[in-house]
Amino acid sequence: MQEVQNGNISAEDYVSKTIEQINNVDENLHAFLQINSEAIDNARQIDKKIKSGKNVGACFGMPISIKDNICIKDSKTTCASNMLENFIAPYDATVISKLKQQDAIFVGKTNLDEFAMGLTTEFSAFGPSRNPWNLDYVPGGSSGGSAVSVSAFECLASLGSDTGGSVRNPASFCGVVGFKPTYGLISRFGLISYANSIEQIGPIARTVKDTAFILNMIAGLDPNDNTTIDNSNQDYLLGIDSGIEGKKIGIIKEMIGEGIDSAVMSATKNAISKFQGLGAVCEEVSLDMVKYSVAAYYTITATEAGSNLARYDNLRYGYDFPVEGYEFNSYISKARRKFGPEVTRRMILGGFVPSSGHAGKYFLKALKVKQKLTQEIDQLFKKYDFLIAPTVPVLPFKIGEKIDDPVALFLVDINTVTANLTGKPAISVPFEISNGLPIGIQIFANSNDDKSLLQAARALESTVKLPEVPI
Amino acid sequence: MVNEQEIEIVAKLMKIEIDDHKEYIDKVHAMIDYFDILDNAGVQDEEISMKDIPLSNLREDKHIPYEDKLIERLNNYKGTYVRAPKMI
Repeated sequence: MQEVQNGNISAEDYVSKTIEQINNVDENLHAFLQINSEAIDNARQIDKKIKSGKNVGACFGMPISIKDNICIKDSKTTCASNMLENFIAPYDATVISKLKQQDAIFVGKTNLDEFAMGLTTEFSAFGPSRNPWNLDYVPGGSSGGSAVSVSAFECLASLGSDTGGSVRNPASFCGVVGFKPTYGLISRFGLISYANSIEQIGPIARTVKDTAFILNMIAGLDPNDNTTIDNSNQDYLLGIDSGIEGKKIGIIKEMIGEGIDSAVMSATKNAISKFQGLGAVCEEVSLDMVKYSVAAYYTITATEAGSNLARYDNLRYGYDFPVEGYEFNSYISKARRKFGPEVTRRMILGGFVPSSGHAGKYFLKALKVKQKLTQEIDQLFKKYDFLIAPTVPVLPFKIGEKIDDPVALFLVDINTVTANLTGKPAISVPFEISNGLPIGIQIFANSNDDKSLLQAARALESTVKLPEVPI
Repeated sequence: MVNEQEIEIVAKLMKIEIDDHKEYIDKVHAMIDYFDILDNAGVQDEEISMKDIPLSNLREDKHIPYEDKLIERLNNYKGTYVRAPKMI
């Protein structure tokens, strides 16, 4: 946006070109559920501010896309669900208010797995998004539309949400940067809840610097979200090129074990060599609880989802379905048939695992695994500055390939859920292309070390030159 | 090992009505079976520690005026009341 700031191009021209790109490519990609018809008008307003010498926010009309589970006042927020097909958000999420103050422009709302439950975007009620590197392949999820929109130049950056890897997984599959901050660094006010105790909004961008720039706009305390933490207005861009010389990096062995694709393993070894070349010391480390993390993650998230989705009774939110002739419970059951298959399954799970007689076997054990995993990772961070692993242990797969096997899909999450269960920040950096499909490397840092994490990601990124996305 | 009847009861309690019964039951069953791996984690003796949130962290409990009449956005708002399904 430097060009807009310097007056070399107007915000209107820039946003018009972005909308043109969306019109050209999105019919095939389906990154967007809605396009903001006022985006170009909004850009004109910013041009007026620039010309009249008024203060202009740091975004200077930067076109940003927003995952469709984040509320923008007076616009549709569907969560890619038929249940919320016509829901108009009555308020702005805190992240939206902050970006508006900085003169960002929202070009549209992006596709996701229904209520962010999934990791391929195939569970959207409005059809899947497609991977811009190969249209037959999934883009990852649940923030698949957001990652596609960044990868395919349909915007400069996007906001997604990450409950078990939903920012990092699609970023890895689409060859862009995806960042899950320390739990509490970004307000969740206005994010439609799925699993409150572990989810975070996170930026997706083409570069680590763009990611840090967006983080500067949206991080910090919010009186509307009492889980937010004071980041003392840190500038995440300042010193981003500091490098990682002398830093100690642990390679998590449980994340490069059984089931890892050989191309992903090879990329991970190459990334380790790059880190060593940058002056870091790399050693293999163990996080024993990782092998139980996916089961713990799904148990906890299903439980919280079961509670959060109870509000969708078609009285407070919903679609046109007359109440006459129904008894209270049967009306709600009938109305909930609009939920898609994955949401329905997780609601049933969410009723089962914390229920009387089963809570001790599932939910309480999951909480204990979460706690022990946190203790293990805290121990590692006493000795190491960063931990690394491939973001996803497999390459992007074909649309439809795993959709009927929920347990096979579970295992795709194995390297990402740890950051959510422990609250640690983690970032996926695009690193290699194998058979025309991207591979991302994930870096973890200790809580509140988001700034040094971005520096490490920038250092790795500086060693990489990927081909242009073939769209 | 959970059985189909248990899953059906939970679906009913969660107010979920499903068409393709067998498909849902089979998939939910497979998911719950996978969760049995938690039995091997050796965490039985772990004590779950809770994090206290001091009252001072919560925002003040006071009325904040809001310009929109949110009630008018409800599907079954009839001008002076909301029509809900009968309770009995």
